Amino acid sequence: MTATRTIVFSPDQLAEVRRLQGLYPDKRGALLPVLHMAQDAFDYVSLEVQEYVAGLFDMAPSHVHEVVTFYTLYFQQPKGRHVVAVCHNLSCYLAGSREILAHVKQRLGIGVGETTDDGRVTLQSVECLCACEAAPMMQVDDRYELNLTPEKVDRILGELR
Amino acid sequence: MAEIVLMRNFGRQDSHTLAGYRATGGYTAWEKAKGMEPAAITEEVKKSNLRGLGGAGFPTGMKWSFVPKTHTGPVYLVINADEGEPGTFKDRYLLERDPHALIEGMLITARAIRSAKGFVYIRGEYVQPWRIFSGAVKDAYDAGLLGNGFDIVVHRGAGAYICGEETGLLSSLEGKKGWPKIKPPFPAIKGAFGEPTVVNNVETIACVPPIINRGAEWFAGLGTKTQGGTRMYSVSGRVTKPGVYEDSCAVTLRQLIHDHAGGVSHTGKLKAVVPGGGSAAILTADEIDVAMDVDGLKAKGSMIGSAGVVVMDESVSIPEALLVLARFYAHESCGQCTPCRESTGWIYKMVHRIVDGHGRKDDLDTILDVAKRGGGTTICAFYDGAIGPYISYIEKFRGEFEALCRS
Amino acid sequence: MPKLTIDGKEIEVEAGTNLIEAARRLGIEVPHYCYHPGLSIAGQCRLCMVDIEKTPRPSIACNTQAADGMVVHTDTERVRDTRRSIMEFHLINHPLDCPVCDQAGECWLQIYYMKHGLYDPRMTDEKVHKPKAVPLGPHVMLDAERCILCSRCVRFCDEITGTGELGIFHRGDHSEIGLFPGRDLVNNYSGNVVDICPVGALTDRDFRFQVRVWYLDAARSICTGCARGCNIDVHVNRRRPHHAEGKRVARLKPRFNADVNAWWLCDVGRYHYDFVDAPTRLTAPVRRNNAGTAEIAWDEAVSGVAEALRRYSPDQVGVLASPRMANEDLLALRRVLEARAMRQVAYDVPPPALAEGDDFLLRSDRAPNRRGAELIGLGGDTGGLMASARAGRLKCLWVFHHDLLASGWPAADVRQALDRVETLIFTGTNANAISERAQWVLPAAAWVEREGTFTNFEGRVQRFRSAVEPLGQALPEWDLLGRIVAALGGTPAGGRAELWFRELVRTVPAFAGLSYQAIGDHGQLIPGATSAGAPTPPGRRVKVHG
Repeated sequence: MTATRTIVFSPDQLAEVRRLQGLYPDKRGALLPVLHMAQDAFDYVSLEVQEYVAGLFDMAPSHVHEVVTFYTLYFQQPKGRHVVAVCHNLSCYLAGSREILAHVKQRLGIGVGETTDDGRVTLQSVECLCACEAAPMMQVDDRYELNLTPEKVDRILGELR
Repeated sequence: MAEIVLMRNFGRQDSHTLAGYRATGGYTAWEKAKGMEPAAITEEVKKSNLRGLGGAGFPTGMKWSFVPKTHTGPVYLVINADEGEPGTFKDRYLLERDPHALIEGMLITARAIRSAKGFVYIRGEYVQPWRIFSGAVKDAYDAGLLGNGFDIVVHRGAGAYICGEETGLLSSLEGKKGWPKIKPPFPAIKGAFGEPTVVNNVETIACVPPIINRGAEWFAGLGTKTQGGTRMYSVSGRVTKPGVYEDSCAVTLRQLIHDHAGGVSHTGKLKAVVPGGGSAAILTADEIDVAMDVDGLKAKGSMIGSAGVVVMDESVSIPEALLVLARFYAHESCGQCTPCRESTGWIYKMVHRIVDGHGRKDDLDTILDVAKRGGGTTICAFYDGAIGPYISYIEKFRGEFEALCRS
Repeated sequence: MPKLTIDGKEIEVEAGTNLIEAARRLGIEVPHYCYHPGLSIAGQCRLCMVDIEKTPRPSIACNTQAADGMVVHTDTERVRDTRRSIMEFHLINHPLDCPVCDQAGECWLQIYYMKHGLYDPRMTDEKVHKPKAVPLGPHVMLDAERCILCSRCVRFCDEITGTGELGIFHRGDHSEIGLFPGRDLVNNYSGNVVDICPVGALTDRDFRFQVRVWYLDAARSICTGCARGCNIDVHVNRRRPHHAEGKRVARLKPRFNADVNAWWLCDVGRYHYDFVDAPTRLTAPVRRNNAGTAEIAWDEAVSGVAEALRRYSPDQVGVLASPRMANEDLLALRRVLEARAMRQVAYDVPPPALAEGDDFLLRSDRAPNRRGAELIGLGGDTGGLMASARAGRLKCLWVFHHDLLASGWPAADVRQALDRVETLIFTGTNANAISERAQWVLPAAAWVEREGTFTNFEGRVQRFRSAVEPLGQALPEWDLLGRIVAALGGTPAGGRAELWFRELVRTVPAFAGLSYQAIGDHGQLIPGATSAGAPTPPGRRVKVHG
């Protein structure tokens, strides 16, 4: 992550920002969706991105920072190419999520909140993802991976590039 | 076992498509509702005894009737699809497997409350449900069901349990932190973007088309005296067949565990059950002959909440289970009101210390006292939810906690 | 107008009044942190709980509007117990560092804990740690651990200045107030967040560690930073002169006046007091002649100046009064002029650079009493007066306060004028280039050292009171001018500012009907004047998005 990227949306992305802003009675309603867009476009929501987005909403950057620091899905630091989020809440705990998390840590050689040296995976331990019928489970990027066993975890992690 | 109403289409491969939904009578309720006066729709829903299925159990028709009739500006319908209560997963099924049931329910509800715009707030982690539901919304636009007097905006959250609280959700929808709003004013008077707003859970609104199609009496007859219909129970934890099961609101917890979920797994011996999501007070093995409706569980000192049933067998450590939940509340407290912000963290530290073997017996009394003192003092129900487990786990399983404490 | 009962006392209040304000009017204090009458209702601190009959649980008084027939109890056992609980919650993660906290003595955690504390500390675990001693810009210091997250400061920047610099970041017990990383709190009103912070989280960088607040005394006063005349309290340290390097004025704090400044004060005015205790203060009358410079007694100075005024014909004397002088001073000066029938007087000296006002309280006119100087008839042709001096037509020039060599006039022109004047008299609080070369220097008391009135830009006459004794031999200008009136054979109005004000009311029609008593703490408009009241804060104005 050494290359610096210009923090500007493309014309198409800007048109999408305007469209999203138009969906809400007050354009600020589109802040969360636009921050999702910004994270997709710029990898993570750096301070520079926050200031840029604040400008798109005529908002004080502090209020964008409030939002970014409040929600768990916005990354303020560079993250891995994949994000693995192991659920640790009640039903997953009852189904052995501690062992699963320990296994994931050991396989990746990192702790919670860390990213592998090759930039492949960032590991998180998260609250209930509401797939308790298939506990233990984890989210890998957009996908829910259910009914985990150490073997299944190995297969899933192995497929991440 | 009661008739299957909400999950009636789940068996179809194409249940999420417009064609699949239409093939089983989809959107006929909306056709019928178009011929009804708004007040008549609300009246029908009132008579059906439908109560909110997201957690609070408030009578749905009554909630709709709070929108001021004289208001001339916009009225918003907001769907709470920020499912996050530990042990609950029913709305995910509805969004993925029957999205048009929600859209049709929204159309009818919007007519009842005279709303031209609806927002569906889907938790940020639900990417797949969000894609499927968004596809269904697009199909409904293409078919002319939406865009003719009613629009739906699908909104993605960004990871915060508190946004499942209806006014936290509204703050988040407005592009802010998910801080719940002080009441009064209530959302029906001044909600999203300062306009009258009705916030309903996904499952609640999915009940509306069947009510309109088959009548309030039929729906009311499916449930108990004070709560009509069936509902979707999420059952997980130490059971043989975890899953989502639909049954009458009159079903008992014993029936859910044994008849639906195949009984207790692991040691096979029941120790405790969370009956209504993580925030519900825990029940012991001898408290499961209880009707799983709003009033049945209230009588047992717990709550039906989101109907998320988490089963614990004899081998489960109750202090460790509480530690999991105490961490959850400390992590998810929004930080707005002092009692919740300060004591969720403190209680987590105390429970952590106890589980680690550094607890003192007076810690238990401190937790109970702090929890009880904080109850009812905050803006929203989050902390009242948190004290459900704090108090019940310790009071009902005190010996287990004391065994971990130094004298 | 709803009529309600609070603690057995009936009261009628305007519709919309909340229970904190309704109780306040009965002299009943409902403890609170997040509520501030100038800000929106947040309802976060949960301390202002009261019992309302027919309501199952205590309710927050800040968000409950008085209703007809409502019966409120602010001191039931249940309410007291709730307060004890809430106070415990507020202190769980508080560092309890009162001995090193600048807020000690005026901290609402301390004040309420004395009355509503649990006195049974049960929190033995590690507290949450947050940033300490973080400068938030030129005036404000943050200690996030002491913060109780009442959000007053955040709401202030959103709703009053509209600048939105502050936010509450993160969540749960890791929530903390702060600025967007890399930015500063630099709006014109930043000092106000210190005033409204109920605890030691936000302290004033200028005031911190100077003196403990319990050694301070206060006097009601008027800000001299601009023509608005914001109402203030002057806090002075008289009891610990060895603290704060002998500075007597410790700080200025805004004082509520709905018609002038509401609860607020700009930073320009707030920090405009350093000159009072500066080493440049003039503390004794001075005579400067060929024999040298000597400090002299007042009698000698007064007779010397009177003799100088008599020596010249009235058209050889020019007077540059100042819009920083009080109404009483200006009248006394007019009496001096009348005693010798001098007519060449003016007060408008152009500033070196035109000061900028803002869209709220601060006015571009940085003098507190231009309106008074004009009404008392001291306005004249300043440029003409200086031209006369340069042309050698003035033999005597009397300058009040102005540093003409640091004015908008070319310094060369000023020097030429000063060079041609035989007798230069200076009256002011602090030394400057004019006092340095004046033959007579008459030291004036600063506004915090005396009584008087200013007339603000709207024509509101407001009183300021003495907070400390004049430094050295400095005198209020009405006093030293009164002595000169007497030396010239006239009769001064008297030995108190109020007597001069009475004469002003009697003899200058613009002030007819006013009195110190009627001015009170709120001010009184001169006949015919109207007030627009305190301006709507920028943050409350409707924003138009492009």
